Amino acid sequence: MSGNRDEALSKLIHDVNSKCASLREAAAMLPTANSHDSQALLALMVQAADALAASLGKFKREHAV
Amino acid sequence: MAKLSILVIEDDPLARRVMAEHLSGHDVRFAADAKAARSALDSSSPSICFVDLSLGDGDTNSGLDLIPLAAAKGIYTVVMSGHDSEKFVERAYVLGCSDFYSKGNVQADVGRILAKFLERRERPKDGRLFAERFITEDPATRASIRDTLKYASSDLPVLILGPSGTGKTSLARIIHDSSDRPGEFVAINCSAYAEDLLEAELFGYRKGAFTGAADSRKGKLLLADKGTLFLDEIGSMSLKMQTKLLKAIEERSFFPLGSDRAETSQFRVISATLEDLQSLIKAGRMRFDFFQRIHGLTIELKPLAQRNCDVLPLLAYFTRAGRKLSFTADAKERLLGYDWPGNIRELRKFVYLLVTGHEGRVTLKDVNHLLTNSRSGESGKGFVMAEQFRLAKELGLHEVTDRFVDTIIAMSLAENGGKRTQVLKDLRISTRLLYVSLERNGRYLRRRSSDERKSR
Repeated sequence: MSGNRDEALSKLIHDVNSKCASLREAAAMLPTANSHDSQALLALMVQAADALAASLGKFKREHAV
Repeated sequence: MAKLSILVIEDDPLARRVMAEHLSGHDVRFAADAKAARSALDSSSPSICFVDLSLGDGDTNSGLDLIPLAAAKGIYTVVMSGHDSEKFVERAYVLGCSDFYSKGNVQADVGRILAKFLERRERPKDGRLFAERFITEDPATRASIRDTLKYASSDLPVLILGPSGTGKTSLARIIHDSSDRPGEFVAINCSAYAEDLLEAELFGYRKGAFTGAADSRKGKLLLADKGTLFLDEIGSMSLKMQTKLLKAIEERSFFPLGSDRAETSQFRVISATLEDLQSLIKAGRMRFDFFQRIHGLTIELKPLAQRNCDVLPLLAYFTRAGRKLSFTADAKERLLGYDWPGNIRELRKFVYLLVTGHEGRVTLKDVNHLLTNSRSGESGKGFVMAEQFRLAKELGLHEVTDRFVDTIIAMSLAENGGKRTQVLKDLRISTRLLYVSLERNGRYLRRRSSDERKSR
Protein backbone atom coordinates (compact mmCIF):
# COMPACT_ATOMS: atom_id res chain seq x y z
CA MET A 1 0.00 0.00 0.00
CA SER A 2 2.88 2.31 0.95
CA GLY A 3 4.61 1.46 -2.36
CA ASN A 4 1.46 2.35 -4.28
CA ARG A 5 1.19 5.63 -2.43
CA ASP A 6 4.81 6.53 -3.17
CA GLU A 7 4.29 5.76 -6.83
CA ALA A 8 1.07 7.77 -6.94
CA LEU A 9 2.75 10.66 -5.17
CA SER A 10 5.63 10.59 -7.62
CA LYS A 11 3.16 10.73 -10.52
CA LEU A 12 1.25 13.56 -8.81
CA ILE A 13 4.45 15.58 -8.35
CA HIS A 14 5.30 15.00 -11.99
CA ASP A 15 1.85 16.19 -13.08
CA VAL A 16 1.91 19.25 -10.86
CA ASN A 17 5.39 20.27 -12.02
CA SER A 18 4.67 19.66 -15.70
CA LYS A 19 1.21 21.22 -15.81
CA CYS A 20 2.14 24.23 -13.70
CA ALA A 21 5.20 24.90 -15.84
CA SER A 22 3.06 24.76 -18.99
CA LEU A 23 0.32 26.91 -17.44
CA ARG A 24 2.84 29.56 -16.35
CA GLU A 25 4.46 29.67 -19.79
CA ALA A 26 1.07 29.75 -21.54
CA ALA A 27 -0.12 32.59 -19.30
CA ALA A 28 2.98 34.57 -20.22
CA MET A 29 2.07 34.12 -23.90
CA LEU A 30 -1.44 35.57 -23.51
CA PRO A 31 -0.56 39.31 -23.60
CA THR A 32 0.96 39.02 -27.08
CA ALA A 33 -1.47 36.44 -28.52
CA ASN A 34 -4.19 37.58 -30.94
CA SER A 35 -7.84 36.92 -30.16
CA HIS A 36 -7.98 33.57 -31.95
CA ASP A 37 -4.75 32.27 -30.45
CA SER A 38 -5.81 33.56 -27.07
CA GLN A 39 -9.05 31.55 -27.20
CA ALA A 40 -7.20 28.38 -28.28
CA LEU A 41 -4.56 28.89 -25.62
CA LEU A 42 -7.13 29.45 -22.88
CA ALA A 43 -9.02 26.30 -23.93
CA LEU A 44 -5.79 24.29 -23.60
CA MET A 45 -5.04 25.92 -20.24
CA VAL A 46 -8.48 25.04 -18.92
CA GLN A 47 -8.00 21.47 -20.15
CA ALA A 48 -4.62 21.29 -18.39
CA ALA A 49 -6.01 22.80 -15.19
CA ASP A 50 -8.93 20.33 -15.25
CA ALA A 51 -6.55 17.41 -15.74
CA LEU A 52 -4.44 18.67 -12.84
CA ALA A 53 -7.53 19.07 -10.65
CA ALA A 54 -8.56 15.52 -11.58
CA SER A 55 -5.11 14.17 -10.62
CA LEU A 56 -5.22 15.99 -7.29
CA GLY A 57 -8.81 14.77 -6.63
CA LYS A 58 -7.85 11.20 -7.45
CA PHE A 59 -4.84 11.28 -5.14
CA LYS A 60 -6.95 12.86 -2.38
CA ARG A 61 -9.58 10.16 -2.74
CA GLU A 62 -7.24 7.24 -2.92
CA HIS A 63 -4.21 8.16 -0.85
CA ALA A 64 -4.71 11.19 1.38
CA VAL A 65 -4.51 10.24 5.02
CA MET B 1 20.28 31.43 -34.97
CA ALA B 2 20.49 28.64 -37.57
CA LYS B 3 17.19 26.97 -38.47
CA LEU B 4 17.15 23.54 -36.84
CA SER B 5 15.11 20.43 -37.47
CA ILE B 6 13.52 19.47 -34.15
CA LEU B 7 11.24 16.64 -32.98
CA VAL B 8 9.22 17.20 -29.80
CA ILE B 9 7.75 14.07 -28.19
CA GLU B 10 5.13 15.35 -25.74
CA ASP B 11 1.67 14.06 -24.86
CA ASP B 12 0.36 17.22 -23.20
CA PRO B 13 -1.29 19.53 -25.76
CA LEU B 14 -0.61 22.67 -23.71
CA ALA B 15 3.07 21.74 -23.32
CA ARG B 16 3.24 21.18 -27.11
CA ARG B 17 1.70 24.62 -27.69
CA VAL B 18 4.26 26.21 -25.35
CA MET B 19 7.13 24.39 -27.06
CA ALA B 20 5.83 25.49 -30.47
CA GLU B 21 6.02 29.09 -29.26
CA HIS B 22 9.56 28.78 -27.92
CA LEU B 23 10.82 26.91 -30.99
CA SER B 24 9.21 29.19 -33.57
CA GLY B 25 11.57 29.84 -36.46
CA HIS B 26 12.79 26.25 -36.47
CA ASP B 27 11.45 23.29 -38.41
CA VAL B 28 9.48 21.58 -35.61
CA ARG B 29 7.58 18.32 -35.74
CA PHE B 30 5.48 16.96 -32.87
CA ALA B 31 4.68 13.42 -31.74
CA ALA B 32 1.98 13.00 -29.08
CA ASP B 33 2.67 9.39 -28.14
CA ALA B 34 5.33 6.66 -28.34
CA LYS B 35 3.92 5.16 -31.57
CA ALA B 36 3.95 8.50 -33.40
CA ALA B 37 7.44 9.15 -32.00
CA ARG B 38 8.81 5.85 -33.34
CA SER B 39 7.31 6.56 -36.72
CA ALA B 40 8.82 10.09 -36.77
CA LEU B 41 12.24 8.74 -35.75
CA ASP B 42 12.03 6.07 -38.45
CA SER B 43 11.19 8.52 -41.18
CA SER B 44 13.37 11.49 -40.26
CA SER B 45 16.64 12.52 -38.63
CA PRO B 46 16.08 15.75 -36.74
CA SER B 47 19.03 17.59 -35.23
CA ILE B 48 17.43 17.68 -31.78
CA CYS B 49 14.77 15.51 -30.15
CA PHE B 50 12.98 16.66 -26.98
CA VAL B 51 11.49 13.68 -25.17
CA ASP B 52 8.94 13.90 -22.37
CA LEU B 53 9.50 11.01 -19.98
CA SER B 54 5.85 10.41 -19.22
CA LEU B 55 3.77 10.00 -22.35
CA GLY B 56 0.36 9.55 -20.69
CA ASP B 57 0.05 5.86 -21.44
CA GLY B 58 0.00 4.81 -17.81
CA ASP B 59 3.75 4.19 -17.76
CA THR B 60 5.42 7.15 -16.04
CA ASN B 61 8.69 6.56 -17.90
CA SER B 62 7.62 5.38 -21.34
CA GLY B 63 9.76 8.14 -22.91
CA LEU B 64 12.91 6.36 -21.69
CA ASP B 65 12.48 3.66 -24.35
CA LEU B 66 12.69 6.29 -27.07
CA ILE B 67 16.07 7.66 -25.96
CA PRO B 68 18.21 4.83 -27.43
CA LEU B 69 16.29 5.03 -30.72
CA ALA B 70 17.04 8.74 -31.09
CA ALA B 71 20.59 8.54 -29.73
CA ALA B 72 21.45 5.67 -32.11
CA LYS B 73 20.67 7.99 -35.02
CA GLY B 74 23.10 10.56 -33.66
CA ILE B 75 20.29 12.91 -32.66
CA TYR B 76 20.97 15.35 -29.81
CA THR B 77 18.40 13.91 -27.40
CA VAL B 78 17.03 16.04 -24.60
CA VAL B 79 14.84 14.59 -21.87
CA MET B 80 12.33 16.93 -20.29
CA SER B 81 10.45 15.82 -17.28
CA GLY B 82 8.50 16.94 -14.27
CA HIS B 83 10.81 14.62 -12.33
CA ASP B 84 14.32 15.57 -11.41
CA SER B 85 14.99 12.54 -9.28
CA GLU B 86 18.54 11.28 -9.68
CA LYS B 87 17.46 7.81 -10.69
CA PHE B 88 15.61 9.18 -13.76
CA VAL B 89 18.44 11.51 -14.70
CA GLU B 90 21.04 8.76 -14.40
CA ARG B 91 18.92 6.26 -16.32
CA ALA B 92 18.31 8.79 -19.13
CA TYR B 93 22.05 9.47 -19.52
CA VAL B 94 22.86 5.74 -19.46
CA LEU B 95 20.39 5.27 -22.31
CA GLY B 96 22.17 7.91 -24.37
CA CYS B 97 20.44 11.21 -23.77
CA SER B 98 22.60 14.29 -24.37
CA ASP B 99 20.86 16.68 -21.98
CA PHE B 100 18.16 16.72 -19.33
CA TYR B 101 15.98 19.37 -17.80
CA SER B 102 13.23 19.25 -15.26
CA LYS B 103 10.21 21.29 -16.30
CA GLY B 104 9.97 24.62 -14.59
CA ASN B 105 11.08 27.40 -16.90
CA VAL B 106 10.62 26.14 -20.44
CA GLN B 107 11.75 29.35 -22.14
CA ALA B 108 15.09 29.48 -20.30
CA ASP B 109 15.65 25.73 -20.57
CA VAL B 110 14.90 25.54 -24.29
CA GLY B 111 17.06 28.60 -24.98
CA ARG B 112 19.96 27.14 -23.02
CA ILE B 113 19.69 23.78 -24.74
CA LEU B 114 19.58 25.24 -28.26
CA ALA B 115 22.60 27.43 -27.48
CA LYS B 116 24.48 24.45 -26.03
CA PHE B 117 23.61 22.28 -29.02
CA LEU B 118 24.79 24.92 -31.51
CA GLU B 119 28.00 25.48 -29.57
CA ARG B 120 28.72 21.75 -29.56
CA ARG B 121 27.93 21.47 -33.25
CA GLU B 122 30.23 24.35 -34.17
CA ARG B 123 33.04 23.52 -31.74
CA PRO B 124 34.67 20.59 -33.55
CA LYS B 125 34.68 22.51 -36.85
CA ASP B 126 36.03 25.63 -35.16
CA GLY B 127 38.55 23.56 -33.25
CA ARG B 128 40.05 22.07 -36.39
CA LEU B 129 39.82 25.34 -38.29
CA PHE B 130 41.57 27.46 -35.69
CA ALA B 131 43.98 24.78 -34.48
CA GLU B 132 45.09 23.44 -37.85
CA ARG B 133 44.23 25.67 -40.76
CA PHE B 134 44.19 29.24 -39.47
CA ILE B 135 45.92 29.34 -36.12
CA THR B 136 44.36 32.05 -34.04
CA GLU B 137 43.01 32.44 -30.54
CA ASP B 138 42.07 36.05 -31.09
CA PRO B 139 38.28 36.26 -30.51
CA ALA B 140 37.78 39.12 -33.01
CA THR B 141 39.72 37.30 -35.76
CA ARG B 142 37.84 34.08 -35.08
CA ALA B 143 34.51 35.93 -35.21
CA SER B 144 35.43 37.64 -38.52
CA ILE B 145 36.45 34.34 -40.07
CA ARG B 146 33.32 32.58 -38.81
CA ASP B 147 31.18 35.40 -40.26
CA THR B 148 32.99 35.18 -43.59
CA LEU B 149 32.58 31.41 -43.77
CA LYS B 150 28.81 31.82 -43.47
CA TYR B 151 29.00 33.19 -47.04
CA ALA B 152 31.47 30.56 -48.26
CA SER B 153 28.91 28.76 -50.40
CA SER B 154 27.53 31.96 -51.97
CA ASP B 155 28.86 33.58 -55.14
CA LEU B 156 29.61 36.78 -53.25
CA PRO B 157 33.08 38.11 -54.08
CA VAL B 158 35.35 38.39 -51.04
CA LEU B 159 38.04 40.99 -50.46
CA ILE B 160 40.68 40.11 -47.86
CA LEU B 161 42.65 43.04 -46.50
CA GLY B 162 45.71 42.87 -44.31
CA PRO B 163 49.45 43.38 -44.17
CA SER B 164 51.82 40.94 -45.80
CA GLY B 165 52.18 37.61 -43.99
CA THR B 166 48.89 37.70 -42.10
CA GLY B 167 47.41 34.61 -43.77
CA LYS B 168 45.34 36.09 -46.63
CA THR B 169 46.07 33.21 -49.00
CA SER B 170 45.36 30.61 -46.31
CA LEU B 171 42.03 32.25 -45.58
CA ALA B 172 41.13 32.38 -49.29
CA ARG B 173 41.79 28.65 -49.56
CA ILE B 174 39.71 27.94 -46.45
CA ILE B 175 36.80 29.92 -47.94
CA HIS B 176 37.09 27.90 -51.14
CA ASP B 177 37.30 24.58 -49.26
CA SER B 178 34.19 25.52 -47.28
CA SER B 179 32.28 26.52 -50.40
CA ASP B 180 31.59 23.02 -51.77
CA ARG B 181 32.46 24.35 -55.21
CA PRO B 182 33.43 21.42 -57.42
CA GLY B 183 36.12 23.39 -59.27
CA GLU B 184 39.69 24.23 -58.34
CA PHE B 185 41.19 26.94 -56.16
CA VAL B 186 43.35 28.88 -58.61
CA ALA B 187 45.64 31.55 -57.21
CA ILE B 188 47.63 34.22 -58.97
CA ASN B 189 49.82 36.94 -57.53
CA CYS B 190 49.06 39.94 -59.71
CA SER B 191 52.24 41.76 -58.69
CA ALA B 192 54.50 38.95 -59.86
CA TYR B 193 53.75 39.51 -63.55
CA ALA B 194 54.35 42.23 -66.04
CA GLU B 195 51.08 43.42 -67.60
CA ASP B 196 51.36 41.40 -70.83
CA LEU B 197 52.29 38.23 -68.99
CA LEU B 198 49.51 38.72 -66.43
CA GLU B 199 47.02 38.97 -69.27
CA ALA B 200 48.37 35.74 -70.78
CA GLU B 201 48.27 34.03 -67.38
CA LEU B 202 44.70 35.11 -66.66
CA PHE B 203 43.07 34.70 -70.06
CA GLY B 204 45.31 32.03 -71.57
CA TYR B 205 46.58 32.08 -75.15
CA ARG B 206 46.52 30.23 -78.43
CA LYS B 207 49.65 28.84 -80.00
CA GLY B 208 51.47 31.61 -81.85
CA ALA B 209 49.56 34.42 -80.11
CA PHE B 210 52.88 36.10 -79.36
CA THR B 211 56.59 35.38 -79.69
CA GLY B 212 57.35 32.43 -77.45
CA ALA B 213 53.78 31.09 -77.38
CA ALA B 214 54.87 27.71 -78.73
CA ASP B 215 51.75 25.96 -77.40
CA SER B 216 48.22 26.97 -76.49
CA ARG B 217 47.68 27.36 -72.79
CA LYS B 218 44.59 27.64 -70.57
CA GLY B 219 44.39 30.77 -68.47
CA LYS B 220 43.64 30.98 -64.75
CA LEU B 221 40.08 32.15 -65.47
CA LEU B 222 39.30 28.94 -67.30
CA LEU B 223 41.16 26.76 -64.78
CA ALA B 224 38.97 28.28 -62.05
CA ASP B 225 35.73 27.24 -63.76
CA LYS B 226 33.17 26.25 -61.06
CA GLY B 227 35.88 27.02 -58.53
CA THR B 228 37.59 30.05 -57.05
CA LEU B 229 39.94 32.57 -58.65
CA PHE B 230 42.17 34.10 -55.99
CA LEU B 231 43.70 37.40 -57.09
CA ASP B 232 46.47 38.23 -54.65
CA GLU B 233 47.88 41.78 -54.52
CA ILE B 234 45.01 43.05 -56.63
CA GLY B 235 46.09 46.64 -55.93
CA SER B 236 49.07 46.22 -58.25
CA MET B 237 46.90 45.48 -61.29
CA SER B 238 47.01 48.08 -64.07
CA LEU B 239 43.88 50.01 -65.07
CA LYS B 240 43.95 48.32 -68.47
CA MET B 241 43.96 44.86 -66.89
CA GLN B 242 41.23 45.90 -64.46
CA THR B 243 39.05 46.87 -67.41
CA LYS B 244 39.60 43.54 -69.14
CA LEU B 245 39.10 41.51 -65.99
CA LEU B 246 35.99 43.47 -65.00
CA LYS B 247 34.39 42.56 -68.34
CA ALA B 248 35.32 38.90 -67.88
CA ILE B 249 33.94 38.84 -64.33
CA GLU B 250 30.67 40.50 -65.35
CA GLU B 251 30.11 38.44 -68.47
CA ARG B 252 31.75 35.22 -67.22
CA SER B 253 33.16 35.08 -70.71
CA PHE B 254 36.47 36.13 -72.27
CA PHE B 255 38.75 35.67 -75.27
CA PRO B 256 42.14 33.97 -74.77
CA LEU B 257 44.98 35.86 -76.47
CA GLY B 258 45.09 35.10 -80.17
CA SER B 259 41.69 33.40 -80.12
CA ASP B 260 38.47 34.55 -81.77
CA ARG B 261 36.40 32.05 -79.81
CA ALA B 262 35.04 33.13 -76.43
CA GLU B 263 35.52 30.87 -73.41
CA THR B 264 33.07 30.80 -70.52
CA SER B 265 33.92 30.15 -66.89
CA GLN B 266 31.82 30.23 -63.70
CA PHE B 267 34.37 31.31 -61.13
CA ARG B 268 34.03 33.02 -57.79
CA VAL B 269 36.47 35.87 -57.15
CA ILE B 270 38.40 36.27 -53.91
CA SER B 271 40.88 39.15 -53.88
CA ALA B 272 43.52 40.21 -51.41
CA THR B 273 45.64 43.27 -50.94
CA LEU B 274 47.74 45.05 -48.36
CA GLU B 275 46.98 48.40 -49.98
CA ASP B 276 44.24 50.86 -49.12
CA LEU B 277 41.96 50.48 -52.13
CA GLN B 278 40.03 53.68 -51.39
CA SER B 279 43.31 55.59 -51.68
CA LEU B 280 44.05 53.82 -54.97
CA ILE B 281 40.63 54.85 -56.28
CA LYS B 282 41.27 58.47 -55.22
CA ALA B 283 44.69 58.35 -56.85
CA GLY B 284 43.12 57.04 -60.07
CA ARG B 285 44.95 53.72 -59.82
CA MET B 286 41.84 51.62 -59.31
CA ARG B 287 38.56 51.74 -61.22
CA PHE B 288 35.61 52.31 -58.93
CA ASP B 289 33.44 49.83 -60.86
CA PHE B 290 36.18 47.20 -60.58
CA PHE B 291 36.41 47.82 -56.82
CA GLN B 292 32.62 47.49 -56.57
CA ARG B 293 32.79 44.17 -58.39
CA ILE B 294 35.43 42.61 -56.11
CA HIS B 295 34.42 43.78 -52.64
CA GLY B 296 31.10 42.04 -51.96
CA LEU B 297 32.27 40.95 -48.55
CA THR B 298 35.35 42.41 -46.89
CA ILE B 299 37.42 40.86 -44.11
CA GLU B 300 40.44 42.54 -42.58
CA LEU B 301 43.17 40.43 -40.99
CA LYS B 302 44.97 42.13 -38.14
CA PRO B 303 48.79 42.17 -38.02
CA LEU B 304 50.33 39.75 -35.52
CA ALA B 305 51.32 42.65 -33.27
CA GLN B 306 47.60 43.28 -32.67
CA ARG B 307 46.88 39.64 -31.84
CA ASN B 308 49.90 38.62 -29.83
CA CYS B 309 47.81 35.91 -28.14
CA ASP B 310 48.53 33.96 -31.35
CA VAL B 311 52.34 34.10 -31.06
CA LEU B 312 52.78 31.12 -28.73
CA PRO B 313 50.11 28.93 -30.41
CA LEU B 314 51.78 29.64 -33.78
CA LEU B 315 55.18 28.74 -32.33
CA ALA B 316 53.71 25.47 -31.06
CA TYR B 317 52.10 24.82 -34.44
CA PHE B 318 55.27 25.44 -36.44
CA THR B 319 57.29 23.12 -34.17
CA ARG B 320 54.57 20.44 -33.87
CA ALA B 321 56.33 17.88 -36.03
CA GLY B 322 59.88 18.63 -34.95
CA ARG B 323 61.89 19.36 -31.90
CA LYS B 324 60.00 20.52 -28.84
CA LEU B 325 61.29 23.81 -27.50
CA SER B 326 60.74 25.51 -24.20
CA PHE B 327 61.20 29.19 -23.53
CA THR B 328 62.35 30.97 -20.43
CA ALA B 329 59.79 33.41 -19.02
CA ASP B 330 61.72 36.49 -20.21
CA ALA B 331 62.15 34.94 -23.67
CA LYS B 332 58.38 34.43 -23.90
CA GLU B 333 57.82 37.99 -22.76
CA ARG B 334 60.17 39.26 -25.47
CA LEU B 335 58.35 37.23 -28.14
CA LEU B 336 54.98 38.53 -27.01
CA GLY B 337 56.23 42.11 -26.91
CA TYR B 338 57.93 41.98 -30.32
CA ASP B 339 55.98 43.66 -33.14
CA TRP B 340 56.59 40.99 -35.84
CA PRO B 341 56.54 43.39 -38.80
CA GLY B 342 56.73 40.42 -41.18
CA ASN B 343 53.80 38.83 -39.32
CA ILE B 344 53.30 35.05 -39.51
CA ARG B 345 55.85 34.70 -42.32
CA GLU B 346 58.49 36.27 -40.09
CA LEU B 347 57.47 34.08 -37.16
CA ARG B 348 57.78 30.97 -39.33
CA LYS B 349 61.26 32.05 -40.39
CA PHE B 350 62.16 32.72 -36.76
CA VAL B 351 61.03 29.19 -35.83
CA TYR B 352 63.12 27.76 -38.67
CA LEU B 353 66.20 29.56 -37.39
CA LEU B 354 65.38 28.44 -33.87
CA VAL B 355 64.88 24.73 -34.52
CA THR B 356 67.91 24.41 -36.74
CA GLY B 357 70.31 26.18 -34.43
CA HIS B 358 69.12 25.56 -30.87
CA GLU B 359 68.41 22.75 -28.54
CA GLY B 360 66.14 22.55 -25.54
CA ARG B 361 65.54 25.67 -23.54
CA VAL B 362 65.48 28.98 -25.41
CA THR B 363 66.68 32.01 -23.49
CA LEU B 364 66.11 35.73 -23.94
CA LYS B 365 69.63 36.01 -25.38
CA ASP B 366 68.82 33.38 -28.04
CA VAL B 367 65.60 35.15 -28.96
CA ASN B 368 67.25 38.56 -29.21
CA HIS B 369 70.04 37.14 -31.36
CA LEU B 370 67.62 35.43 -33.75
CA LEU B 371 65.27 38.38 -34.02
CA THR B 372 68.24 40.57 -34.97
CA ASN B 373 69.33 38.05 -37.62
CA SER B 374 65.80 37.73 -38.88
CA ARG B 375 65.43 41.49 -39.25
CA SER B 376 68.80 41.92 -40.95
CA GLY B 377 67.73 39.27 -43.46
CA GLU B 378 64.54 41.22 -44.08
CA SER B 379 66.51 44.37 -44.74
CA GLY B 380 68.69 42.66 -47.37
CA LYS B 381 71.89 41.89 -45.51
CA GLY B 382 72.80 38.27 -46.06
CA PHE B 383 70.85 38.24 -49.33
CA VAL B 384 73.61 40.24 -51.00
CA MET B 385 77.00 38.49 -50.94
CA ALA B 386 80.19 40.44 -50.29
CA GLU B 387 81.41 39.56 -53.80
CA GLN B 388 78.25 40.96 -55.39
CA PHE B 389 78.59 44.12 -53.37
CA ARG B 390 82.26 44.50 -54.47
CA LEU B 391 81.37 43.90 -58.14
CA ALA B 392 78.47 46.38 -57.98
CA LYS B 393 80.92 49.06 -56.86
CA GLU B 394 83.44 48.05 -59.51
CA LEU B 395 81.19 47.53 -62.55
CA GLY B 396 78.05 49.45 -61.56
CA LEU B 397 74.77 48.10 -60.16
CA HIS B 398 73.08 47.65 -63.58
CA GLU B 399 75.85 45.40 -64.88
CA VAL B 400 75.81 43.24 -61.75
CA THR B 401 72.00 43.06 -61.72
CA ASP B 402 72.02 41.92 -65.37
CA ARG B 403 74.61 39.23 -64.55
CA PHE B 404 72.48 38.08 -61.65
CA VAL B 405 69.36 37.89 -63.85
CA ASP B 406 71.26 36.12 -66.66
CA THR B 407 72.73 33.55 -64.25
CA ILE B 408 69.33 32.75 -62.73
CA ILE B 409 67.74 32.40 -66.19
CA ALA B 410 70.59 30.19 -67.40
CA MET B 411 70.24 27.99 -64.31
CA SER B 412 66.50 27.71 -64.88
CA LEU B 413 67.02 26.83 -68.56
CA ALA B 414 69.47 24.11 -67.58
CA GLU B 415 67.08 22.78 -64.95
CA ASN B 416 64.23 22.67 -67.48
CA GLY B 417 66.23 21.14 -70.32
CA GLY B 418 66.13 24.36 -72.35
CA LYS B 419 62.29 24.56 -72.27
CA ARG B 420 61.68 28.30 -72.36
CA THR B 421 57.94 28.24 -71.54
CA GLN B 422 58.76 26.46 -68.29
CA VAL B 423 61.39 29.11 -67.49
CA LEU B 424 58.77 31.83 -68.05
CA LYS B 425 56.41 30.02 -65.72
CA ASP B 426 58.95 29.16 -63.02
CA LEU B 427 60.54 32.58 -62.83
CA ARG B 428 57.36 34.53 -63.63
CA ILE B 429 59.17 36.79 -66.06
CA SER B 430 58.10 38.40 -69.30
CA THR B 431 59.03 36.84 -72.61
CA ARG B 432 60.84 40.09 -73.40
CA LEU B 433 63.13 39.73 -70.38
CA LEU B 434 63.85 36.11 -71.27
CA TYR B 435 64.93 37.00 -74.81
CA VAL B 436 66.95 40.04 -73.72
CA SER B 437 68.76 37.82 -71.23
CA LEU B 438 69.36 35.07 -73.82
CA GLU B 439 70.77 37.67 -76.19
CA ARG B 440 73.10 38.94 -73.46
CA ASN B 441 74.19 35.38 -72.65
CA GLY B 442 74.80 34.77 -76.37
CA ARG B 443 76.94 37.88 -76.65
CA TYR B 444 78.88 36.83 -73.58
CA LEU B 445 79.49 33.31 -74.93
CA ARG B 446 80.55 34.66 -78.34
CA ARG B 447 82.91 37.13 -76.66
CA ARG B 448 84.39 34.41 -74.43
CA SER B 449 84.99 32.05 -77.33
CA SER B 450 86.63 34.87 -79.34
CA ASP B 451 88.85 35.72 -76.37
CA GLU B 452 89.79 32.05 -76.02
CA ARG B 453 90.74 31.84 -79.74
CA LYS B 454 92.90 34.94 -79.47
CA SER B 455 94.72 33.61 -76.43
CA ARG B 456 95.65 30.33 -78.19
